Amino acid sequence: MGETILKMTNISKRFGGVAALSDVSMELSKGEVRALIGENGAGKSTLMKILLGIHQADAGEIEFDGHQVHFKEPKQALDAGISMIHQEISLIPTVDVAENIWMGREDKFTKMGWWIDQSRRYAATKELLDTLGIQVNPRTTVSLLSIAMMQLVELARAVSYDSKIIIMDEPTSALSAEEVELLFSIVRKLTNQGVTILFISHKIDEIFAICDSATVLRDGQYIGTHTLNEKIDNDSLIAMIVGRELSDIYNKVEIKPGKTVLEVKNLYSQSVFKDVSFSVRAGEIVGFSGLMGAGRSEIARALFGIDRYTSGEILIDGKSVRITSPEQAIQNGLAMVTEDRLRQGTIYKLSVMHNATLANLFRMVRLGFIDRKRENNAFAELSSQLSIKYGRKSDSINTLSGGNQQKVILGRWLLTNPKVLILDEPTRGIDIGSKSEIYKLINRLAAQGLAIIFISSELPEILGLCDKTYVVRNGKLVFECPRAEMTQELLAQHAFGL
Amino acid sequence: MNNTVSKSDTARNLLMGNKAFIIVLFMSVILSFASPVFFGASNILNIIRQVSVSTLLSIGFTIVLSSGNMDLSVGTLLGLCGMVLAKLIKDFKVPIPLAILITLLFAILCGSLNALIITTFRIPFFIVTLATQSIFRGANYLLSQLVPVAGLPDKFLYIGQGYLWGIPVPIFIMLLVVVCVWILMNRTKFGRHILAVGGNQEAARVSGINTKKITYGVYMCGALCTGIAAVVMTSRAASAQVSAGIGMEMDAIAAVVIGGTSMSGGNANVWGTVFGCLIVGIVNNGLNLLGVDSNWQVVAKGVLILFAVIIDTVTARSLASRLNKQAAASAGRE
Repeated sequence: MGETILKMTNISKRFGGVAALSDVSMELSKGEVRALIGENGAGKSTLMKILLGIHQADAGEIEFDGHQVHFKEPKQALDAGISMIHQEISLIPTVDVAENIWMGREDKFTKMGWWIDQSRRYAATKELLDTLGIQVNPRTTVSLLSIAMMQLVELARAVSYDSKIIIMDEPTSALSAEEVELLFSIVRKLTNQGVTILFISHKIDEIFAICDSATVLRDGQYIGTHTLNEKIDNDSLIAMIVGRELSDIYNKVEIKPGKTVLEVKNLYSQSVFKDVSFSVRAGEIVGFSGLMGAGRSEIARALFGIDRYTSGEILIDGKSVRITSPEQAIQNGLAMVTEDRLRQGTIYKLSVMHNATLANLFRMVRLGFIDRKRENNAFAELSSQLSIKYGRKSDSINTLSGGNQQKVILGRWLLTNPKVLILDEPTRGIDIGSKSEIYKLINRLAAQGLAIIFISSELPEILGLCDKTYVVRNGKLVFECPRAEMTQELLAQHAFGL
Repeated sequence: MNNTVSKSDTARNLLMGNKAFIIVLFMSVILSFASPVFFGASNILNIIRQVSVSTLLSIGFTIVLSSGNMDLSVGTLLGLCGMVLAKLIKDFKVPIPLAILITLLFAILCGSLNALIITTFRIPFFIVTLATQSIFRGANYLLSQLVPVAGLPDKFLYIGQGYLWGIPVPIFIMLLVVVCVWILMNRTKFGRHILAVGGNQEAARVSGINTKKITYGVYMCGALCTGIAAVVMTSRAASAQVSAGIGMEMDAIAAVVIGGTSMSGGNANVWGTVFGCLIVGIVNNGLNLLGVDSNWQVVAKGVLILFAVIIDTVTARSLASRLNKQAAASAGRE
């Protein structure tokens, strides 16, 4: 290994009221391959964005190659020698490979300061790709490439900056086994030249294969850094990633479940998920855990008719139903609180009351006219049941806090008197007070006989509320776990694939 | 922790929500000083009658806009419907009530054509209605063979030129339609669903609203208003002109924007649209009374639109930044 190339000390960052990073420190040596591990929301992306200058830290210092640095924009970090391969492809699809790779650095190939010598650019690109062993024609338009090829082009671009540190965020997500090996060989080549690689990934087996050491973050805090040798094994790694104190704000009430309300058989959506089969009984809270992108929301959206699915059977109360739109889903007794409250939940121009009653208007009309008394009564009852705090019911919904907005959306679905309630990350971005109120509510609903599907990335919640949990990974249900056997480590193990 | 709206916010909201009405009052006061003729009953009724056609058009436009769509073909559809109506009455000797009914059905059909193309091929409304704008215009030319139709029976002219209890009939028709549309947008499930789609189409769909049905609904209702406007216009002018209606979608946009209906959809200020039309009407009337070159009226319309949009944007931004600060402050306190 060798001398220190990067030293981040006591980095803290808040977004609004949430602490994304608290006092995180990390040190990297030249030529090291360091893994950065943690659950969703642990703070990995935030830390990297601060390093790159996309965000500015509230506190803490960064020392790079012996100097104090304070990047205010990505270009500064890039020029200094830090580049990143982002998780989302950031290539421009309408333009070719060569142009994408040298984007922003065209002056390397200009004649008289403005005419771009394309043949020189193509030649340089070909040379770069050949050195790395990547087989792509530099003249290909990016939109015609497979996602795997695009990821390799991104890799080539990062390498072309001659950076001292390359950050790779989930670089193998679309790569085949062969291509992963290619990536690894490129990484080894680079480290031999003294380049430091920071490898963000959920794939523990890959991390063990290529990385020298791993830093674990959890809930915005630095947990530890360990050299990856025989002394560290999967279990202790998992324990570091998830290990939390479990508090009892969940107040789980044991309920005897009724008969099966929802049964899903072999649900399949091409390239998204397959072999999804599960059942939920009345009064049961079924959890779906797994990493972000594993396919849980996709399954829920297909169930609710927001997205199409390719094949499979859905049975409600034993009767096979065909659901192709949310309208149909509601008519069949389903309700869903979507993951993205802002984009698919609240309608900010409508008032608090109107947002709450929206899905149930068809039961409150006479000859097309809304029965205002019924609407007002329904809302009054709902808002007291859920303890929604608002100014006036005619106020715009975005005057409410996040927690109260979520309660309104929850209320919207409860008003439809569903048989099955699907909750996708219902407590995301909500203060702890509102969270515990929502947990209480979920328990109450289960006691009333509702069948509840609870999707969450927060393992404590899953453990606190669910009667059984399915772990989803890569679009498949890989593990079913009854309440008695649930532990954070067990669920995380299956989520990461160990 | 919730962010309540303070008293000064309430006052400001009241002001902004009804700014068209306030501007009308303001302008009326000024103009009644500038010209002694202005505040006479006959002049006022004159103004309202003059804007009746564009108001009917604008009300239909408001419905479509509140769903997040726009219909740029309303102007030429207005002309086409007028020509259809005149031809039915004059050339085909169709009884007047039946002719009116057929015209309205024709208008609704044209509206549903827009909706059909938009929903089936998922092409943005801008291109579709721009294209149908041309189609309707061409259809008008073809139907009329560039010859206006005049000589319509007196019984028909009563609609546009007659008086009921001393008030011009077009004003009654206008008020009736305005009230109906207000009820539609504010008291019916359909209206509420339209606003939901306009406010957040994805969220509306997830909540079980059939967005396709809503698109058909708004374009058909908007076109119906256009059809009614065509009846009044043809009756008032006692003829169907070949170039009638061309460019009138701009009047509609002006009125709607000044009136306070958001360009991005999600709300419908029906009375605001009415006052918006009145403002345009008052400005034109005022310029006439003051003897100003009538070409300035065209400029005035553009200035009014800009003025209204600027006020809207500035107040929306300051409201948003205040809400943000409130949210950050209360989150920090938690």
